[in-house]
Amino acid sequence: MLRLGISKVLSGAKIQHVAVVSRAASDIAKKPEKIEVFIDDKSVMVEPGTTVLQAAAQIGVEIPRFCYHERLAVAGNCRMCLVEVEKSPKPVAACAMPVMKGWRIKTDSEMTKRAREGVMEFLLVNHPLDCPICDQGGECDLQDQSMAFGSDRSRFTDIDFSGKRAVEDKDIGPLIKTIMTRCIHCTRCIRFASEVAGVDDLGTTGRGSDMQIGTYVEKFFMSEMSGNVIDLCPVGALTSKPYSFTARPWEIRKVDSIDVLDAVGSNIVVSTRTGEVLRILPRTNEEINEEWLSDKSRFAYDALKRQRLVTPMVKGCDGQLKPVDWEAALLTVAKAMNQAGNKIGAIAGGLTDAEALVSLKDLLNRLGSENLCTEHTFPMDGCATDLRSTYLLNNKIAPVEEADFILLVGANPRLEAPLLNSRIRKGYIHNETDIAVLGPKTDMRYDYEHLGEDPSALNQIASGSHPLAAKLKKAKKPLIIVGADAMARADGGAIRTAAMKLSQELQSNIVDGEWKVLNILHKVAGQVAALDLGYSAGVEKIRNADGIKVLFLLGADEGTISRDDLPKDCFVVYQGHHGDHGASIADAILPGAAYTEKQATYVNTEGRAQQTLVAVTPPGQAKEDWKIIRALSEILGSKLPYDNLDQVRYRLEEVAPHLTRYGAAENANYFKQALAISTMAKGNISNSPLDVKQKKLEDFFMTDAISRASPTMAKCVAAVKKHMESKY
Amino acid sequence: MAKFLGLDKLGLLIKTIQHYGGIRASLYKLYRMDEVKIGKLVGTDKYGNKYFENPRFFYSRNRWVEYAPKYGMDYDGSQVPAEWYGWLHYKTDLLPMNDPSRPKYKWMADHTENRSGFPEQYTPYSTTTPKIEAWKPTKQ
Repeated sequence: MLRLGISKVLSGAKIQHVAVVSRAASDIAKKPEKIEVFIDDKSVMVEPGTTVLQAAAQIGVEIPRFCYHERLAVAGNCRMCLVEVEKSPKPVAACAMPVMKGWRIKTDSEMTKRAREGVMEFLLVNHPLDCPICDQGGECDLQDQSMAFGSDRSRFTDIDFSGKRAVEDKDIGPLIKTIMTRCIHCTRCIRFASEVAGVDDLGTTGRGSDMQIGTYVEKFFMSEMSGNVIDLCPVGALTSKPYSFTARPWEIRKVDSIDVLDAVGSNIVVSTRTGEVLRILPRTNEEINEEWLSDKSRFAYDALKRQRLVTPMVKGCDGQLKPVDWEAALLTVAKAMNQAGNKIGAIAGGLTDAEALVSLKDLLNRLGSENLCTEHTFPMDGCATDLRSTYLLNNKIAPVEEADFILLVGANPRLEAPLLNSRIRKGYIHNETDIAVLGPKTDMRYDYEHLGEDPSALNQIASGSHPLAAKLKKAKKPLIIVGADAMARADGGAIRTAAMKLSQELQSNIVDGEWKVLNILHKVAGQVAALDLGYSAGVEKIRNADGIKVLFLLGADEGTISRDDLPKDCFVVYQGHHGDHGASIADAILPGAAYTEKQATYVNTEGRAQQTLVAVTPPGQAKEDWKIIRALSEILGSKLPYDNLDQVRYRLEEVAPHLTRYGAAENANYFKQALAISTMAKGNISNSPLDVKQKKLEDFFMTDAISRASPTMAKCVAAVKKHMESKY
Repeated sequence: MAKFLGLDKLGLLIKTIQHYGGIRASLYKLYRMDEVKIGKLVGTDKYGNKYFENPRFFYSRNRWVEYAPKYGMDYDGSQVPAEWYGWLHYKTDLLPMNDPSRPKYKWMADHTENRSGFPEQYTPYSTTTPKIEAWKPTKQ
């Protein structure tokens, strides 16, 4: 933070080196003239200020690099990208040098080759030759580039005299393993920590061969996105602790998938071997997660092997759950449902996919019940969830970094959606975004104006009596992000109406027709799909319904409903993948598949439908969720009309066509109409202070059935708590 | 003459049927053991299996066991206890009760038959930790 803070103060303007992808980039009135440079005698036209490395990349010439990373500031300290420029006596560092008109750059000349060989020789002098026991082996930049660009012989004889450099390992938490002898001082981790994560803990001490990367005093790397430094590290100095000594990159099978542990829907790659998930890595998607991933999404995979429901269970006459086969379990459930008639309710949890949601809804509707709701509350008064614009992050995730004013209402994006927070922080650093927070004061890793915790301030801003109102109205690209915890309040509807009213006012000042001021941030991956499919939010409906005979919990594990809320004779069916709260109150358990084990549709908080793919098979007798419901429907005698995934998706498309347009985020509209309907609803904002559930970093790690079962996440919580007690 | 006409075979058949106590009982034996033959009862073990010998049959067919009726059709070779095994398989000609070289101690275990295919069968257990740790319901 300090590094950029100073440059911000000095230049007082945008920092150029990190490209902020901007929709408005084309609006810039006069474009600077392009200049011509020659790379290996090929002409290329580039904009002034482009570096040699970027210019080379434009015609597909890749220059080797260690310290340069396109999403981080340029450091220029590894010297691997040295290239020859004609008429220049010395080779230049391609990553830091802007091109000049008419430069002739030679990327494969004798001088360039010799420069690279020299740099590589120096790097290897100070790097241990422990590739066979190094976790980075096989996916190591140093290994690859020493093969491609290094010399074929060594002149290193000092091994017989003083030996190689050795550096003590640092303990920076339960996620990142450090072997600092392998470090080549590219400082990517330092730059990531200070620029993207906003935790200025890492730094260098000493110089020359005494240089060390570390935290100065022994402390944990207290960030919710710390795992990304493992990907950034070009060598094996920072590796994943849970994955250490587990597998080699050439043994594992990689499956593209979607993360479901928060509502952002980060793109991931699931690495598996012999039916086990070994690690999860981010997959680049510029519109969602860039190339980062939050620690929960990256490291909670070990929970996929623990606390699993592997066999159907039914409560015996002694009141104990006993493993049974599928036939017996489905017959028991069907019997209870047949006896219940239409007195059936269903609660869908936060990790549920759209296919399971639509089949459960179809089944219950066929049985004559409309008691379908989601576990996470959302206002159901006013226009409820009839119009999509009232429950989506309408402006999408990527444009958040272009905003010039962000108002957060009852949200803690750092812990609820870390990758959205990294966008806000990017805007804060590179775009001078002002941020105001209405809600509890939490550490978001950027400065913001705290407006207190009284939700009625929203009305004051809208009416213009609040000091912030003038500033907000001047903003060209304002955003209002309302958190799920604010929406879960009893007066959530009124808060939403106030936010809608304010957004509508601001919307009229905005020139960019694409810009949407009103944004809702969800916390769970299944919520948007459930609302799209017509589930009603919140379990109130089940509590109020009289004489529910069968309650179907589809992955509902948050404990929002307990045995005391239900009639004594109510038969509770739990379908899900982890034994948690839902399974503990169930009379029958149907084991389903977790997100790595099924091809399923999830809709993220911006309304973007994405699908997970099957990485491993479900454990034991567990089955894909929609198949269980389909089988149950046949036993119940009201067979659902789909037999395979394509047919389920055809049904999904019938209900909501955007659910099968994978990768695309459908724009939601009718803001005015939604506001008009909402204002008709009665109810005022109460003056109880706004609160968020996740306030501190230790609240981040264990939030759902999967992450609660993860030993790594438990270690993280313990480490953060321990760190809180230390004096650093 | 009688031999030439095969009447002695007929006599043997009648004798066998008489031995088993009628046509119905003989047919049951035939069904159960796939053969009916008579021989000298040389002993009975503690499980009720009867051991027969008839030197009229050739070697390897002249000693046999008739499993105790309680086994019904579910008899198999492992129900022959160890002490009779040797005589039945011609390892020795001495009957177990006549063999002086067989010590009997009270700590010697009782014979058990092979229970493969039944619920009490022996199953080898894995010494590796399972990949998936299943959830165990809490006792209520």
